[in-house]
Amino acid sequence: MKRSIWLCTALLLGCAAPALAQTWQVDAAHSTLGFTNTYQNVEYTGQFHRFDAKIVYDPNDLAQAKFDVSVDIASLDTRNSERDHTALDADFFDASKFPRAHFATTDFRKAVDGTVVADGELTLRGVAKPVALAVTFTPHGDTATLDVTAQVNRLDFGIGAGQWADPSMIGNGVTVHGHLLLRKADP
Amino acid sequence: MPLRSTEHGWGALVRAFHWLVAALIVAQGVIGLSMVQMDLTPAKVRVFALHKSIGMTILALVLLRIAWRLTERRPADPPAMPHWQRQAAHALHLALYVLILALPLSGWWFNSAANAPLVWFGWLDLPSLTGGLDPVWKPRALLLHQTLFWVLAALLVGHVGAALWHHFGQRDDVLRRMAVGSGKPNREVRP
Repeated sequence: MKRSIWLCTALLLGCAAPALAQTWQVDAAHSTLGFTNTYQNVEYTGQFHRFDAKIVYDPNDLAQAKFDVSVDIASLDTRNSERDHTALDADFFDASKFPRAHFATTDFRKAVDGTVVADGELTLRGVAKPVALAVTFTPHGDTATLDVTAQVNRLDFGIGAGQWADPSMIGNGVTVHGHLLLRKADP
Repeated sequence: MPLRSTEHGWGALVRAFHWLVAALIVAQGVIGLSMVQMDLTPAKVRVFALHKSIGMTILALVLLRIAWRLTERRPADPPAMPHWQRQAAHALHLALYVLILALPLSGWWFNSAANAPLVWFGWLDLPSLTGGLDPVWKPRALLLHQTLFWVLAALLVGHVGAALWHHFGQRDDVLRRMAVGSGKPNREVRP
């Protein structure tokens, strides 16, 4: 009985204490960064197998939250070797000139429906544009899953501009979705 | 010309199938051999899409053609034809049917194994035969598709050669009874 009172008190104190910014490590083996687009009006999905993400996030302390993601463009995989090869060419990602994409948050806010939105800047193919992420964070003790979704337009970043701009050939709208398994980093 | 085939000649539907598929096969050969030489541009992507669409059209037409053939008789071989020639002709026709089915199917298989889109004339999204990328079978399916094409081309040389030999050498009605428009009317016309 006494034990459980102490436990309750400890838990209450824990909740009441000011939340410290929580730093997370990404479990790369269980995390994916992918996207959905259309080619000849048929939906296909792709992934970037290699990316680094620095995640600081506590749902109760959005002011301290920060995502910083760097993506190895050459790790692109759309399950079609010809398409992947072409996508790295100068007309598209131009991976030899711009080997990495970068996204960093600038602000987190709660939308009216209660969902969390992270505003940030995506630098892709040398072009920086504001991009908003819809954030879903689900804690499970020492681990958590973080799902983010964003809408970007490939032509905003000059990917496949010129002769490949026709959206019936390659869709302009791209839905990016990240699914990250996070583990609490040692303090 | 009656719709159905008779003892003496092919019906209108068989002739239509024959010449339509023949024209599409010639177009496919020309497109297929040219498109692989093209530089990668949107035009190349569209030509590949056209090749796939025509191929699927041929597949559908051949299936309809076979279904129709099963419902009716074939005209009799010319009486003067020796037994071995009849056997050879029928074997060649059977091989042609197998190939004009196998070519679009092998193309579909290759396209599926390569995880490439297959939308029939930009309108009908056809399913993958492999459920996505299959890197092991992809090069084999391509080799099969290319090999079958050259086998078909060789058999077509024999087919066309035999038809011309019947017409100009034997002076029988084998070519005329498949002809469209100018062919002499079938001697036996069903009401």
